[in-house]
Amino acid sequence: MALPKRIIKETERLMNEPVPGISAVPHEDNLRYFDVTIDGPSQSPYEGGLFKLELFLPDDYPMTPPKIRFLTKIYHPNIDRLGRICLDVLKSNWSPALQIRTILLSIQALLGAPNPDDPLANDVAQKWKEDQNAAIETARQWTQEHAKP
Amino acid sequence: MSTPSPIPPPNDRRSSRASSNAGPPSSNLNVPSEPSDLLVVGGPPSSPSPLALRASNSPSSKRRKSRAAKVPPDVHMLEYVSACDSNLVCLICHSPFDRPVKLPCEHYFCRECVDHAWDAQQEDLRSCPTCRTKVDPQKDLSPVPRIIETMLDELVVKCPNTKTGCDWVDQRVNVHDHVMLYCEYTLVECPSTDCRLPISQKDFHKGCLHSTVSCEHCHASLMKKDLEVGSVMSICPNRSTNCPHCFIELLRLDLKPHVKDVCPMVSIPCSGAIVGCKVTAERIEVEEHEKTCPMATMAPFFREQQARVERSEARLDPLSRKIGILEDGLTNITSMLYPANGNDSSFPVTNPLDPNSSEAFPPASLMPTPDFRLPPASFPPVPQSSDTTQAQPPFDSQVHHLLTLHESLRDEVSRVSNALTELEGRTSMTIMNENQRVKEDMLHTNAAINGMRMQLHWLMSATLQQRSASAAGSSTARAGSSTGPSASGSGTQGASSRASATFRAPIRRLSDSTRQDVKL
Ligand SMILES: [Zn+2]
Ligand SMILES: [Zn+2]
Ligand SMILES: [Zn+2]
Ligand SMILES: [Zn+2]
Ligand SMILES: [Zn+2]
Ligand SMILES: [Zn+2]
Ligand SMILES: [Zn+2]
Repeated sequence: MALPKRIIKETERLMNEPVPGISAVPHEDNLRYFDVTIDGPSQSPYEGGLFKLELFLPDDYPMTPPKIRFLTKIYHPNIDRLGRICLDVLKSNWSPALQIRTILLSIQALLGAPNPDDPLANDVAQKWKEDQNAAIETARQWTQEHAKP
Repeated sequence: MSTPSPIPPPNDRRSSRASSNAGPPSSNLNVPSEPSDLLVVGGPPSSPSPLALRASNSPSSKRRKSRAAKVPPDVHMLEYVSACDSNLVCLICHSPFDRPVKLPCEHYFCRECVDHAWDAQQEDLRSCPTCRTKVDPQKDLSPVPRIIETMLDELVVKCPNTKTGCDWVDQRVNVHDHVMLYCEYTLVECPSTDCRLPISQKDFHKGCLHSTVSCEHCHASLMKKDLEVGSVMSICPNRSTNCPHCFIELLRLDLKPHVKDVCPMVSIPCSGAIVGCKVTAERIEVEEHEKTCPMATMAPFFREQQARVERSEARLDPLSRKIGILEDGLTNITSMLYPANGNDSSFPVTNPLDPNSSEAFPPASLMPTPDFRLPPASFPPVPQSSDTTQAQPPFDSQVHHLLTLHESLRDEVSRVSNALTELEGRTSMTIMNENQRVKEDMLHTNAAINGMRMQLHWLMSATLQQRSASAAGSSTARAGSSTGPSASGSGTQGASSRASATFRAPIRRLSDSTRQDVKL
């Protein structure tokens, strides 16, 4: 199946004008599969961490959202043990006018502003609500342990 | 290029635009430019391809009109000469709008794109992809302002047949007419009634060019149309060409090796690149550079080292797998051996391995229970087994492992039984020595006893003789005294009592001495 022009254009733009703190590189043998890294945003418990993700563009992209998953372990109320992300724009709120770059920016923003009221990892969200400082400390430790660049 | 297979049948090409996306016109058109299957022979009328046969059998073949077969250009696939104003780009397909529509929220999209996006949404949830305002596709779409249409029309594009040779460049509004009416490279159906393969518009008047001919230079078979369009110049390996780097003239056949290994002007990396030299220049300069580059001198060693590492790694994998199997086998065996004979038998050679051993060691099956006392001579199976494994290499490693284990156990048993026989021999020797000594002692004792008996006998007989002699003397005296009547009674009484006393005494003494003999 030929690669739609849109994917070619998005890839070219991601390579030529990369978003600061974010990189997305397609696999040579499958141009719909990207290796993504996101820097933990400053002023957040993830600061200094380098988080790896995988991103896959399904056949009917951009009509359906890309599939994204964290590969690096991360302690976050909206990201579960398997790295799946609870983010509305990746699900019901997807729009074909969004693109890889905007989605990755949303994920980076989610790291900076966790939302324990819409949790995916229930135990983490629970901790986050009960004792936010301890949870943030755990997140910082995990970042030191698992997300070292 | 002459292979008919990648070309869709004309029926497909006449179908809707949506399906023509799957095989866009440009991909049909650039078919002749890809030199790969020169040797495919076939094509009507000499030998119609299966595709052509199927096409001419289909009912639609009756209503064929060559010009109707042309495919209109797909605007989404067009190449633009210059980057386009981002305000004219559709947010869904990221290309300049194609027949755009305006949503109530003043956002614009290609008609096709927004329809496609709404197809993926639930009917009552359709909204603007940009701002999510609710939209009713039936009522809310309106045309875009005239100026937008004009700007889009004036975008400059290349002909979709650029790859097959057309160099037309013009405003987008004209591309449809150019492709459908004027472009010489647009594919049409072959004019021959028997042939339905595509042919460039400019070759249409030449009749069917799909018969197979053979190149006068290399004798490869190819279709006449490829010969005609001049692409043979870029295919035939026996025609001369110029090196694009040093402009030397040579056969096309030799071009690749020339560029790869010889051409002085082609730019290549320093051979030290593998170790990190960043130099990339024309071959002439690189050769000069390599004389001084330390990394280029290191490169061959490094490469060899790398090859060796790769080889070792390749060998490591099967080895580690083998180790895994062996470890499994070992644990199996240990678990088979130790819990099974916790009670008594410390020589488990016999049972668990029987199925293998009876196969691999025929002598072992001849003597089913090799017990403790097996003489050492009964252990030739050990060397024999190694012979059989050498003779029959297709043992898999697990069986082999079992066999090795079996062998070592056998060794152990034979060592133990050797030790036992040795010990036995030593014991019986000691016993025999001891016996000998005891026997000698007994002989001595017997001899001593006999000596003493002789002595006693001699003493006894001497005493008896003495007694009988004195007794004879006293009886004559008694006979003499018994004549006196008064004293005779008392005399006899006293004599008999004395006699009985003397008779009794030696008896007692005899018995005493015999008792003493027994004691000795
Ligand atoms: Zn569009
Ligand atoms: Zn809108
Ligand atoms: Zn053209
Ligand atoms: Zn023909
Ligand atoms: Zn030739
Ligand atoms: Zn050259
Ligand atoms: Zn060098």
